[in-house]
Amino acid sequence: MLEALSSSQRLKTRFELLPVLVRAANVAGLAIVILLLVTIVASLAPGFLSPFNLFTLTRNLAIDTVIGFSMMVVLATGGMNLAIGSIGVCAIMATGYLLEVLGLPIVVSIAGGLAVAAILGWLNGILIVRTGIHSFVITLATASLYFGAMLILTKAEAFRELPAAFNALGKARFGPYSALLTVTFAVGAALLVLFKYSLVGRQILAAGANPVAAKLSGTPVERVIVVAHVLSGLCAGIAGVMVAARLAAALPSVGQDWLLPSFLAPLLGGTLLSGGLVSVVGTLLGAVLVTVLQNGLVLLKVGSFWIQFFLGLTLLVAVGLDRWRSVYVQRAGLKR
Amino acid sequence: MTAGALLVENATKVFPGVKALDRVSMALNSGEIHALLGENGAGKSTLIKIVTGVYRPDEGEVRIMGKAVSFSSPRDAFAAGIGVVHQERNLIPRYSVAENIMIERLPTKRGLIDRGEMNRQASHWLAALDLAIAPEIPVNRLSVAQMQLVEIARALSQQSRILLLDEPTASITRNEIEVLFGLLRRLKDDGVAILFVTHKLEEVFALCDRVTILRDGRNACDGVPIADIDKRQVVAHMVGRDDALSDIGNRRANLGEVKLELKGVSTALGHRGIDLQVRKGEVVGLYGLVGAGRSELAKAVIGAEKITGGQILVDGRPAVIRNVRDALQRWRIGYVSEDRKQEGLILAHSVAKNTGITIWHRLGGILKLFTDKQERKAIGPFIQKLDVRTPSLDQDVGNLSGGNQQKVSVAKWLAAESEILIVDEPTVGIDIRTKGYLHRLIWDLAEQGVAVVLITSDLAEMVLLADRVVVMRDFRVIGDLPNTYNYEQMSRQIMGRIHEAKLDEEHEGGASAFQGA
Repeated sequence: MLEALSSSQRLKTRFELLPVLVRAANVAGLAIVILLLVTIVASLAPGFLSPFNLFTLTRNLAIDTVIGFSMMVVLATGGMNLAIGSIGVCAIMATGYLLEVLGLPIVVSIAGGLAVAAILGWLNGILIVRTGIHSFVITLATASLYFGAMLILTKAEAFRELPAAFNALGKARFGPYSALLTVTFAVGAALLVLFKYSLVGRQILAAGANPVAAKLSGTPVERVIVVAHVLSGLCAGIAGVMVAARLAAALPSVGQDWLLPSFLAPLLGGTLLSGGLVSVVGTLLGAVLVTVLQNGLVLLKVGSFWIQFFLGLTLLVAVGLDRWRSVYVQRAGLKR
Repeated sequence: MTAGALLVENATKVFPGVKALDRVSMALNSGEIHALLGENGAGKSTLIKIVTGVYRPDEGEVRIMGKAVSFSSPRDAFAAGIGVVHQERNLIPRYSVAENIMIERLPTKRGLIDRGEMNRQASHWLAALDLAIAPEIPVNRLSVAQMQLVEIARALSQQSRILLLDEPTASITRNEIEVLFGLLRRLKDDGVAILFVTHKLEEVFALCDRVTILRDGRNACDGVPIADIDKRQVVAHMVGRDDALSDIGNRRANLGEVKLELKGVSTALGHRGIDLQVRKGEVVGLYGLVGAGRSELAKAVIGAEKITGGQILVDGRPAVIRNVRDALQRWRIGYVSEDRKQEGLILAHSVAKNTGITIWHRLGGILKLFTDKQERKAIGPFIQKLDVRTPSLDQDVGNLSGGNQQKVSVAKWLAAESEILIVDEPTVGIDIRTKGYLHRLIWDLAEQGVAVVLITSDLAEMVLLADRVVVMRDFRVIGDLPNTYNYEQMSRQIMGRIHEAKLDEEHEGGASAFQGA
């Protein structure tokens, strides 16, 4: 009969060490690398720990992390979003327009900019699920489309007369750190709740890991993919508004260099390119690594060409190590 | 019988935390069919992987034709003349049937692939299996059973002197099994050494000469002639006690109202005029040969495929089922897929998430926020009820054995409190003990008032479990027979129906969609 004879003994609810260790190894490894890097940079470049540098560093970190989150949300579905930079700049220009031309209150203007970003993300999602074309192709196209449309509408003219109160956001401090970090932490916390505790977040991960099985288990796969793209757009918008506050202007040239950081942070942090697994903390740490590296190289007066070189190298080394680790785990028979 | 073609001596393989094989020996002779048996997790797959060069043994050795060998990759094993049909599908989906069969040695002409010759050679092996599929068709358009036969054809085409078949009959029907067995016997007479892994004991006694049984990574017996052993002893060796093959007993069907009714349903996949009634508490079997459209019908009922005509009624009310979510949440219809790795489970996710996926929408109130703990509380009882053996609920499902994976894919529909449950090939590749559990479970569910539709290609299982057998052929229902629980009689009746329908069709000159060539 079905009465389990000894299932209660077998089914231990204690948590299991190995997978936790394997997962933690990534985050812990990243944290160690960051500590090492900080120690090295701080000892070589005395300016590193100065209040001024910490402020710049954390302000860049705040922005790059949210850019990373923007990609992470879509990586969760097993797709990608190459239009993050274009969506970001559209949000910037929309916010700038609402602030400067229409003279709307700051909160309303920011909300307007974020709404534009969310709508553009939604459009990406709809195009992807309706056509069934891979997100790579769709967002490659919309990246150019959104950017072009923005240039047409704004005639590539910047908004430079933003209200002082808005610009102050970019200068706001919290001790020596940029207050923009609070926005980043809030977004991170929201994403953590989303992926760990919410129905939609779990469904996004299920759809990313195996869309067929998810669908046959009653998950509205197409809908959650659209949701993920809306969230991605929203994050891109938030990053955009932060950039506008930092620059004290809405420039149409922003966003075109977001592609690399958007992938770097989540991939360094252990988010899978194939979908179904994300790490919010990992993405944050990944962004820390990239920002510290960039900042350190600047302080050490390494030319900016080299910075590009090192960022590319970091990504290769990181994913290479990760690949080696998973192959090793498999060879050792940890996964049978 | 000639001397040992393949010899495994004292092979030991240790994985962190488990000794998968502990001094296991096996001797496979030329000109014999040798059964390798054992429950899931007994070490059969590990042994096969050692012989085929996927794993290296920690201790012990493998000899081929008397020579000690050490494979470092599956290619080495292939080069040494070992042909394998693995349990997992190893076909390249977008490639044609012929390309998949011939992939190791594509015929070329002036440096380019000679497609004509390739198709000709592939056709030869398809014909040997009596398989009427065109060699140009891409593999992803085949059914699961057809894919399995294509894999067998590929192994045959290598004309290996040693042939390993890991559950080759798991998802193919009786007729196809007959053809395969005939072929294997011919190969045996030609002196080929054949290792046959299966969970179906009838097949062992019908086909094999000797049997090696593993239990918990050790030899329970080693090369015992089939004449010296009976079914009870085999089971005793496998499970370590002899009462596991307990009779499932009798069932008093307590039928209620009609729960699910299909009236003249046609689908975009080609079903026409399907009528079907399932009562509360009833187990209705859907039987048919490969390509009869049974799984496809199931998917249409749960809203995963488009219905183009007719009506589905649940509790006598017309049910519009637009997607699986409707089926799950509004009509409480569940579907346990035949393909648990691709369609049933998310292998990279935990046991908890795989089971919880069907009930997440009920957790966490309006905001739909809930903790892992709440999820565990909701699904824990079902995991326990099915006796899923997992170190923890956080374990990735992909790390469980096949039987436990199958239990998880059933558990999630129990957790969903399905009132209509469609179970598709529930015991394919499952060990005897788990099979027994699942059989009993199907009846228990029916006794609790669930309307069960059972799809299985294992006629014995059908006759054992179903109250009624609905026979399908070419996306049509061609018969509805009450179960007499007499295997011979049912088998004759069902095959008769299928054969008649075939004759009728040939008479009318209608060709089926699935038999192109």
